[in-house]
Formats: sequence, C-alpha cells, structure tokens
Amino acid sequence: MTKTDLNNHKVVSLSEWLEARKQFLTQEKEFTRLRDQLSRQRRELPWVKVEKNYVFKEPDRKTTLAELFEGRSQLVVYHFMFAPDEEGPCRSCSFWADSFNAIAIHLNHRDVTMVAISRAPSEKLEAFKRRMGWNFKWVSSGNNDFNYDYHVSFTPEALKDQVEYNYAKQQTDSTDLPGVSVFYKDGNGNIYHTYSVYARGIDILNTAYNYLDLVPNGRDEDELEFSMAWVRYHDQYESKSGNTRREAR
Amino acid sequence: MTTHITGTREEWLAARLELLAAEKQLTRRSDELARRRQELPWVRVDKEYRFETDEGGASLADLFRGRSQLLVYHYMFGPDYTAGCATCSTIADGFDGFVVHLANHDVTLSAVSRAPLAKLQAYKRRMGWRFPWASSLGNDFNFDFNVSFTEEEQRKGGIEYNYERGGHAMDETQIPEPVAQNAAMTGTDVATYTRERPGMSAFVLEDGVVYHTYSTYARGLDGLWGMYQWLDRAPMGRNETGVWWLRHDEYGER
Repeated sequence: MTKTDLNNHKVVSLSEWLEARKQFLTQEKEFTRLRDQLSRQRRELPWVKVEKNYVFKEPDRKTTLAELFEGRSQLVVYHFMFAPDEEGPCRSCSFWADSFNAIAIHLNHRDVTMVAISRAPSEKLEAFKRRMGWNFKWVSSGNNDFNYDYHVSFTPEALKDQVEYNYAKQQTDSTDLPGVSVFYKDGNGNIYHTYSVYARGIDILNTAYNYLDLVPNGRDEDELEFSMAWVRYHDQYESKSGNTRREAR
Repeated sequence: MTTHITGTREEWLAARLELLAAEKQLTRRSDELARRRQELPWVRVDKEYRFETDEGGASLADLFRGRSQLLVYHYMFGPDYTAGCATCSTIADGFDGFVVHLANHDVTLSAVSRAPLAKLQAYKRRMGWRFPWASSLGNDFNFDFNVSFTEEEQRKGGIEYNYERGGHAMDETQIPEPVAQNAAMTGTDVATYTRERPGMSAFVLEDGVVYHTYSTYARGLDGLWGMYQWLDRAPMGRNETGVWWLRHDEYGER
C-alpha cells in the first residue's frame, strides 16, 4: 500500500472535508454491502462430509475432531503455524491470535467453538500459550493427516515440487502456512467441512489490519523486507509501551 | 441429518473457487478503499481539548503518547451510565489484545468517553483491559466529533450521526428492542443511552499541530468488530435477531 506523504498532505476546511468524506462514505457503504453479500454466498457453499477420524493431542488427553466442538454445532479452526522442531510459533500467527483471543468467548454464545491447531507437540503449545496469556484452546495435530488434508502443512517430499495452497499450485519452502477452516456437526454427529480460507483471505480476520487501514500511514509495510517484518511476539517489542516510527527504524 | 446441500470435495472445490474469485475482488476493493481513505484531506484541529487520563490532565496532542498517529475509539460511556456500553465492550475485547502491536507501528489507540475518569478506571479494571482510556467530561470533543448529543438536539430531532440527520436506529421514535436492551445493560434510560454514539476517529500529529483525518460510525465499525468477521465465516453466520452478547464476565450468569 502506498504511503501518504505526511508532510505535504492537503489540509482543508471542515465543510470541504465533509464533502469529500460523504462521497467516500458512499463507497464504504457499497463495500459493506458487498461484504454482506459474500457472507451470504459463503453460507451457500455445499459441505463435504468428513470421513476420516482425526485425533488431536492436548497435554493430558487425546481429543477427536468431534470433541473439539465442545457440544456446539460450529467449529472454527485457526491453522496456527508451529512446526514440531521449532522453538516458537510463527510471529504473524501470534499477532492474529492476539486479535482473536478475547473474542472466542463471544463466539461461544453464537454456537461457535474456536480452536487453534498446530503440528508442534501439545507441551510446546501449552507453554507458549501460558507465556502469551492466551486462553483459547490449542491442540496438536502431531503426526495426523489433518494439517495436510486441509492444505496448511507440507511433507518434505511435497516441498520438492509445487504444493497446493490457497487453491493453487505454489512453490514454497515453508512446511506450514496459515489458514482458517470451518466445520459443522449435525444432530447425528456427522461432521462436515464447510469452508477454508488462506493467504490474504485471512487478512480481514486480523482486525488490527482493519484498524491500520483507517490511519494516515495505513499498513505502512511497503518499505519492509516482507509485510509483517515489524511484528513481534507481544512481549518482545523493545518497549512495552511501544515505539514511535523513528525509533522503530 | 443436515438439510444443507452436501457434495464431494470436487463439487465443493468448484463452488469454493468461484467464491474465492469474489473474495479476492473484495480484498482488492478493500485495499483500494484504504488508499482512497489515505487521500482524504485533513482538517486542522485548533480547539484546545482537555482530557483526564491515568497520568493526569492531557491535551489531544498528549493522547498521541509520542507517536504520530492516533485512533480514538468513541466508547459509549456517558456520565450517567452505571457501566460501559456492553456492545462497545465486545469491540474493546478485540482491540485490547492488539493495541501493543499498533503502538509499535506508530499508532496509539485510545478510548475516549464522557464518563468521569474514576468510572472509566473502575470499569476497565473490571474488564481487565490495558488500552488507554481518557475522559472528555466537560469538553466539546465528543460533541464536535458527533458522538455525543445534547438533550435539546435530541428533543428537536437534530441529531446528526454518521453524516446524516436522524438516520439511525437510535433516532427512531419507536424504540427498537436492541436499543432498549443496550440501554438497560448500561443502567440508564433509552434517551440518556442514545445521547452517546459509537465511532472511530483518526488524527495525525505533525510539527505540534493535530489534524483530524477520518471518522467512521454505525456499520462503518463493522469491520473493526472482531467477532463479526469470524461469525461471517461460520455456517450459520451472524445468526442474530437482536442483542445476544453480554460483557465477557456476564455469560455465566445466564
């Protein structure tokens, strides 16, 4: 996203600003309606019955995919990038987690259970979750097929060639990539896969980005080596209270 | 058994790819709107506003806390409310988790409400939040940025919110149920409750001068409300007919 030149920005009277703002508001309203329309379309997607029996690991027990619903009918899975041999998880995914951690409780009251799933062993997940002060459920898919079936983990063998990610063939050297998958469980206990989204499709789920889209500098990532190069685990920023732009660079 | 259409992975994929194309368009449209938003002209803020904060009295420039950009969440908490608006609380639950990231990207996110500071502090402690929250009690800030209104404006139907006059559910003479519910949850009557409105405003500080760059209200806040973006991806969607949410420490009581 192009950066605004803060030093030469157009400054106007309130009435001129209002005129520009109202014009822009029309476009924003159109966008909101378009987003609503896509949400409707999304719900019309057919579902695919999940036939495989996935078993996940929590520190003290094993859990099936069905049990992850915790008695609710809808399950949202955040595919959190954390490979078994890594010390800590992906920094960007941790940024996403900071934005959903406290809202999971509200989703629970709309019949939705939210869970994060990674390949790393459950002890590692639990330790990192404690360190971050998160309270969402985070289970390990260990060696099961779940992450591979939902196209967020890739075997060393698969990485030699192009892998399927975000519904296309892609070249990557990452064993894990981010995504969100959604499941439904009916009254008879049948589980259906309803939706998966990857790459920039999960942008909108990191609400912090929707906030950055409102400020004069926007996301301000163009000059960085990669877009989220500025992101740290929330306890690893140099200053707890935050840096100014000048200090950060 | 479900009555929803089911299919093979191939059938699902065909429908999913079609939706993916539309989703990508939406993402690009969102990027384009963000660019246009940045191009909006700015308005110089000349008025001196005095806020009360945890650190004492503060000017609008002080609310930036050394950064160059400020986002103000206009949190509905009027002086006569006994608790902060429960709906705003679900929005705040979301941003409380990432203010630290914004703070390290040159953006200070601060909530501002008209309730006296002591009330804000007590409520913030109850909710376990960390974001800065300033009281604008006694100054014009909330009125100037169209999120607080006088009894007289209300009586005369002169409330201009979200860039239009009398266009919002909170302005209707037949009080919609969700508005009445929200009012009850703040321990106040509907008229008092609706004299405060939610919104988000952005400011920039440059060479000691503050400029107002942007404000959004009503459904313009939808994308800033984390829980809705997630619900929009669940099979049943938002699945609501009214206010279903409570404050995060109240769910057990139901």
